[in-house]
Amino acid sequence: MTQRAQQIAQLDRVIHEPARLTIMLILEGVSEADFLYLQREGGFTQGNLSGHLAKLEEVGYVEIEKKFKGKVPLTVCRLTGKGEAAFAGYSQRMLGLLKSDGSAV
Amino acid sequence: MKNSSATPTASYGRRAASYWFVDGLPEILFGLALVIMAALVFLWRTCVPQPWIRFDLVIVAVGFLLYYGMERRFLDFLKSHVTYPRTGYVQPPEESPWRVPTLTTLSLRPDLPAKENVTLFEGRTMVLVFWFCCPFMLTADPLGRWVVPVLVPSLAVALYVVSRRSERPYRWWSALILALAGLAFIRVDVPAPLQRPLPLLLAGGWLLAQGAYTMVHYLRTNPCPRAAEGVRA
Repeated sequence: MTQRAQQIAQLDRVIHEPARLTIMLILEGVSEADFLYLQREGGFTQGNLSGHLAKLEEVGYVEIEKKFKGKVPLTVCRLTGKGEAAFAGYSQRMLGLLKSDGSAV
Repeated sequence: MKNSSATPTASYGRRAASYWFVDGLPEILFGLALVIMAALVFLWRTCVPQPWIRFDLVIVAVGFLLYYGMERRFLDFLKSHVTYPRTGYVQPPEESPWRVPTLTTLSLRPDLPAKENVTLFEGRTMVLVFWFCCPFMLTADPLGRWVVPVLVPSLAVALYVVSRRSERPYRWWSALILALAGLAFIRVDVPAPLQRPLPLLLAGGWLLAQGAYTMVHYLRTNPCPRAAEGVRA
């Protein structure tokens, strides 16, 4: 196995899935966002988003909280410390891979 | 996922930062506050036979302080009924001027990190209006009938210049309308009691109109509130 292949194999597969990567990208740029915002920004269906959020919550990258803004209930999602670290690591690996291959830029 | 080829290219962080202004509510609320302050100053000067001049400033300063303290509470309440049920809730990262941005951007040509958040509306709009409209209230009659034609266009230029690179820039034609509204008073003889609150009234009306325009557009494009909260798997 070449070094590049090893690096690719080391990519976090939980994050690497396009829908979950979109969720992580959205949450990485904000403090917190609710279900509807994520759904609209990412272009997800409700079931699709629920499934991917459940997966991210299961591995501890995202925490989901039910809270109220005024009297309106919101399902609020945010990245955990573990999620931030995992995403930073994923970004670095991915950027390293793309930078080392000029054709990908 | 649905096809998102039409999605704007701004980063998610920047989109979240500008989301605060998507419904026009910050402008509507601040515009309304300015109109109320102008009305109070006008009433004070009309109803009291020999009004103490500095009390104008007291009214406006207290008005700004009250607004500053209660803005977020009011906006959160309004947004929780108008905006969050329609297009969702997001809280951009809090920004402190001394904090080094730590956002990671997954791109080889990264978009600028989200530098703006809700507090910058206060910095770019509220503070400017305060400093342009209040100091002249300290003196009896500094510029006479030239107060409005000088002050309002200057405010329009300042608002445009200061916010042009922000997440909520004012359009040049919108700033031009405010400037022209002020210049129109070169020819109009404004009654004395209205002279001092007029810049506040014009700025408030301008913000209200702008906010109302944004809100109508927002409500048209997002008509149906969601029936129920999203269900998790």
